[in-house]
Amino acid sequence: MSALWTEALALRRARSLAWVLTRRELAQRHQGTALGIVWPYLQPLLTVAAYYLVFDVVFAMRLGEGAPTRAVGAFLVVGALPWMAFCDAVSRGMNSLIDAGGLLQKNPLPPVLFPTRSVLASSLIYGPLMLLVALAYIPAHGLRPAVLALFPLLALQVLMCVLLAYALAILSAALRDVAQLVNFFLSVGIYLSPILFPLSLFPERWRWVLWLNPMTGLVQGYQQVLLAGAWPPASVWWVTLAWIALLAVALGRLVARSRDQLVDWL
Amino acid sequence: MTLSTPDTVLHVEGLGKEYKLYPSPRARLKALLTGRATHRSHWALRDVSFTLHRGQCIGVIGDNGAGKSTLLKLLAGTLQPSTGRLERVGRVTAILELGAGFHPDFSGRDNLYFGGSLIGIPREEMARLEPGIIEFCELGEALDRPVKTYSSGMTVRLAFALVTAVQPDVLIIDEALAVGDQHFQKKCVERITQFRERGCTILFCSHSPYHVRHLCDAALWLDGGLVQQFGETEAVLAAYDVHTRKAEATAQPELPLQAAPVPVSPADAGSACILAVDVADLHDEGDGQPPLLQGQDLAVTITARGRGGERPHIGFMIEQSQGVGITSLATHEDGAAPVRLPDGTWRSVLTFPDLPLHSGSYVISAFLFDETGLAVYDQWFQFRHFRFIYPKPLPGLVRLAHRWE
Repeated sequence: MSALWTEALALRRARSLAWVLTRRELAQRHQGTALGIVWPYLQPLLTVAAYYLVFDVVFAMRLGEGAPTRAVGAFLVVGALPWMAFCDAVSRGMNSLIDAGGLLQKNPLPPVLFPTRSVLASSLIYGPLMLLVALAYIPAHGLRPAVLALFPLLALQVLMCVLLAYALAILSAALRDVAQLVNFFLSVGIYLSPILFPLSLFPERWRWVLWLNPMTGLVQGYQQVLLAGAWPPASVWWVTLAWIALLAVALGRLVARSRDQLVDWL
Repeated sequence: MTLSTPDTVLHVEGLGKEYKLYPSPRARLKALLTGRATHRSHWALRDVSFTLHRGQCIGVIGDNGAGKSTLLKLLAGTLQPSTGRLERVGRVTAILELGAGFHPDFSGRDNLYFGGSLIGIPREEMARLEPGIIEFCELGEALDRPVKTYSSGMTVRLAFALVTAVQPDVLIIDEALAVGDQHFQKKCVERITQFRERGCTILFCSHSPYHVRHLCDAALWLDGGLVQQFGETEAVLAAYDVHTRKAEATAQPELPLQAAPVPVSPADAGSACILAVDVADLHDEGDGQPPLLQGQDLAVTITARGRGGERPHIGFMIEQSQGVGITSLATHEDGAAPVRLPDGTWRSVLTFPDLPLHSGSYVISAFLFDETGLAVYDQWFQFRHFRFIYPKPLPGLVRLAHRWE
């Protein structure tokens, strides 16, 4: 665990650099385009708009009993947006060390900066979008104090993404195949979560599989808060904190084992 | 910090770097997941300890693969040591590979600010330093163009100007004195000398004994990752010299190719270079042997083109034909200077009256320096072999000044 603490301290010392790197990563994602900073926001926004149009306006599909809302599109958007944020942050964070190889080999910088800046850059894109969605959903349930639970949920998601992305970045530095495998899991992961269907629609026997997805807890939390305006059940917090603890322990091990050679692998 | 004296800037104790070699990346991942060791170890550096004080200049010498670059990277902090302790005081600047970290799509100015933040220069300070950097790198308007449109020389100039914008406490240089064109090289050397005069500690890794001898107060000789010797420059260089000769002797002695450098016309306005080196009274007998020196005097005329109006300095070295040094001389060391000819070139005539050598084969080299004697503009290394016959049949190499009583 001390390895992780050292990393956290290094990150704290280099926080102004982390901020510079984050801004630069944001700039890099739209470098050379005419619309500039609008693009990173426009893409998820258009996807979400398409969900809404297709499911709620064109087909007007309805969910069955036991769902937090009746409209399929509205339900989908609340789960899909944080999932897109998760995929974006994890996959960019995972590749960040390999991408920054040249930089790390020639400058004395703590490696933890790079997965962190990727996750932060993704958060700067998806965080405001989540708040926008939250605003759009207020009329559905009226403004309730439970909406404030959105902030700790977002914070936990950022923390979880940093831990997971850094761990995967170290693993993919050791073996490049890891990135391929993880990308596959990220693309099928949406089916192993209550994003497309509410948890109650899954067969009882198979529900445990959903908890293997670290986002399941958070997605349920978002659905409770945004669709029903209710506080997330305790299970949401426990499951998410358990995932974070698990990832922290695993990351601590990986950092301790790879510390003096990580840069040589890039 | 447990540094011994207040003027210690760098303290290294038992420093070692192990490279873990895995049979495949898969084994690497397995070792990472299970924590079991399946690697072979390669120690690039082992048990290195030394202390540097403020204002010292240390040359790191050694064969290829002796661990010089690893040591420099460890000191710069880009590599993590496997064992040992490393204490540094103040700002450490490393000139290892210039221009890494520049993003090709962003403008030079943008990269300047970004690169600055990587080496710990915040935005406000960079705004203050910017005019000085622009003046030094001489990029002018190109600074607002994307870096991908730069020539490699321009990138290196920008990078050098950036890393040396702030006076460091310790400067680490890996043979980077040879960046850009001659004009810029000279500026680089001047800037480094300036740092040194202001009390910056310099650690400098070079294959050139000339530079180490000229710049450094102490030398560190690495051999196979271990410190072979650390101390006064001359002593270490001499010991290293003996070692290299031994290594060369065990290897097949090979006569170097006698490809004389292509002559350049003096009118060709360009970089400084040696134009001609003439040895008087050499007679080629056409039997495949090196030419024979007729007479007892060795007179060498070295003609060179300088840079602008600057007065260059000329160096000369004579060795046995296997490359064992006998003596070397330079105009700036002897308080002499080349003479300017009407066509703007510079000429020195070096004469050894009654050449005090015994019979044998010898080889000469010529060097062209800038006016400070630090930047080497050009060298014709071991470019002419010749034989010399001393009429008396006594064995030996050099005839020393002597007296019988």
